[in-house]
Amino acid sequence: MAEPVLSIRDLRVYFNIRAGTVRAVDGVDIDIGEGEKLGLVGESGSGKTTTALAIMRMIKPPGEIAGGTISLDGRNLVSLSEPEMRSVRGNDVAMVPQAAMNALNPVRRVRDQMLDGLRDHGINESRNRMQDRLTTLMSQVGLGANVLNLYPHELSGGMKQRVTIAMAICHKPRLILADEPTSALDVVVQRQVIETLEDVRSEIGAAVILVGHDMGLMAQFADRIGVMYAGKLVELATVDQIFSNPRHPYTRLLISSLPDTAGKRRLQGIPGLPPSLLAVPPGCPFMPRCPEAMDVCGEVIPELVGEIDMVSCHLHPEAQAA
Amino acid sequence: MTTSPVTAPPTNGNGSESLLELRNVTQIFSSGPVWNREHNYAVNDVSFTLSDKPALITAVAGESGSGKTTLGRIMLGFQRPTLGQVVFGGQDVARMKGGERRRYRRQVQAIFQDPFSVYNPFYKVDHIFTVAIARYRLASSRDEARHLIEEAISGVGLRPSETLGRYPHQLSGGQRQRVMVARSLLLKPQVIIADEPVSMVDASLRATILETLRALNTELGIAILYITHDLTTAYQVADNIMIMYRGHVVEAGDVEHVINDPKHPYTRLLVQSIPMPDPTRRWADMRGVNDPPFAGIDVTPSMCPFVNRCPDAVSSCIEAVPNTYALERHRIAKCFLYEEAGSVSDADVASYFSNRDSSAINDDVGEKM
Repeated sequence: MAEPVLSIRDLRVYFNIRAGTVRAVDGVDIDIGEGEKLGLVGESGSGKTTTALAIMRMIKPPGEIAGGTISLDGRNLVSLSEPEMRSVRGNDVAMVPQAAMNALNPVRRVRDQMLDGLRDHGINESRNRMQDRLTTLMSQVGLGANVLNLYPHELSGGMKQRVTIAMAICHKPRLILADEPTSALDVVVQRQVIETLEDVRSEIGAAVILVGHDMGLMAQFADRIGVMYAGKLVELATVDQIFSNPRHPYTRLLISSLPDTAGKRRLQGIPGLPPSLLAVPPGCPFMPRCPEAMDVCGEVIPELVGEIDMVSCHLHPEAQAA
Repeated sequence: MTTSPVTAPPTNGNGSESLLELRNVTQIFSSGPVWNREHNYAVNDVSFTLSDKPALITAVAGESGSGKTTLGRIMLGFQRPTLGQVVFGGQDVARMKGGERRRYRRQVQAIFQDPFSVYNPFYKVDHIFTVAIARYRLASSRDEARHLIEEAISGVGLRPSETLGRYPHQLSGGQRQRVMVARSLLLKPQVIIADEPVSMVDASLRATILETLRALNTELGIAILYITHDLTTAYQVADNIMIMYRGHVVEAGDVEHVINDPKHPYTRLLVQSIPMPDPTRRWADMRGVNDPPFAGIDVTPSMCPFVNRCPDAVSSCIEAVPNTYALERHRIAKCFLYEEAGSVSDADVASYFSNRDSSAINDDVGEKM
């Protein structure tokens, strides 16, 4: 891979609560190339959203980034001061939030909210120039300029989500983090929003991390998929590899549990529950639910290894040795 | 509202017996000031029968605002329709009293989308079982009640010792939803109306909950109305499907046919938009092609409701609402494209449903991978 835009090494995000330390993200390594689309999937509590928030340095107490580095174009975000980080947010890394209805201010017009975003990052030009910028942004996400005059409650769910995409791209960031941007939308609108995201991504050449649990959406959008489980990446591979030859038993079970429309079959869930992040068992975190667990799995934490397609599982010693 | 007495329960086209029936049900929600009132048809003249001989799973699918949830609420008796009747066991639900009403409430159970908001957070989860047992007098002693509850919880694949005695927040989302399914299991109703039961549950648990629903249907003969916006789960779980758009049933029939060979332009759009979990079957690029000819038109109640989004719309679509046409034995569609097929003879959507003969389940899961 060419020089990565974002390089995460041994990222740890811990929440210190009265009952102990919750290891929400526990040693994650990811590289994302220029303009790459990475899907980050996992169950609730697997650490996928926390990873995205850590990149934005938006982990709130009692949580903290307990270790590791997050390098964006070679600059370690973890060691930046809060004012420095403020200029990174929006300019270099932007976020498309999950609930667009909560992300927009209900009592202000779309225009005013977008102008805030521009001015806050030092863009303050003539009224006409600003208007041109906004109109261009709107057309980039497939909305008419008239939407600028509306209040959020006058927009449909898909339109609101496109407004948040327009806000995210207004400074042409290097990396866009999209956290389940379509989870509240129906399939037709979901498709339009994801296609909009793809259009703006290719236009400004940003890399995208799409966080979610919908494997179908990931198959449609992503170049590579990272599968998270109990705060760790268990597999990180190209989308074709993940779907045609998943190597980690968790990935395999996850994919076989997906409903499709090619013939009825018995739907198989994954038995058991993810471990409590307060007391993750020693060894592989998936071991208690793994149908192929061996003795070594309960003792040694497998490493995420491999060249392009990476897996963290003792079943793949060739990967472990590589 | 009609006040005519309800006739004896009819049999529909399949020769099956009706259990819960909607007769020409319309639900209008009005909003705005009196001088400029807006009337929104959430459900527009829908007739539909859920039968329990044979008991089938019927999916209702459509986007938000299509009226699918309102349809479910009407069948549950939570919402009294503006026009038309809901008939249970041959009796008009709106006129039921006392014991009859209690029987209806017990036999028609609901499973909702958000498995947290249905619980009272101050009570342990046991509460939803003990209330049901007391209300319907299911047990004569504490031990018997306990036994019933444990049986129901085991029936959905949970361990009673890890579930009972806990507060709702101590269970995971999937566990809470399965406890709700267990409550239905305890009551052994004739009908379950499940409104988006798995949309807030993780993929790994979704399959388990859907299989439990399917088992309730096949083993206990419970008729299930499965309301969803997810066509892939509808396909896997249901026998038949109704596609709703702005209160109209625009297409209905055997789920295999409707999903894999959609006829109504709206169903086609829905099916084309499914994000298939298969990178070799990516969305076809539809941008620029097939733009709707009547995009931007103000849709009135005298037009096809889908006319402004339909790539196949013609002038007749803005002149009248299409009838429902019977395309095949197990397929109806509300679209002028199929006018030649002839209008339906029976307004009841379910009379065009298939029984479970064509839906043999392929147990071989590994094959697909």
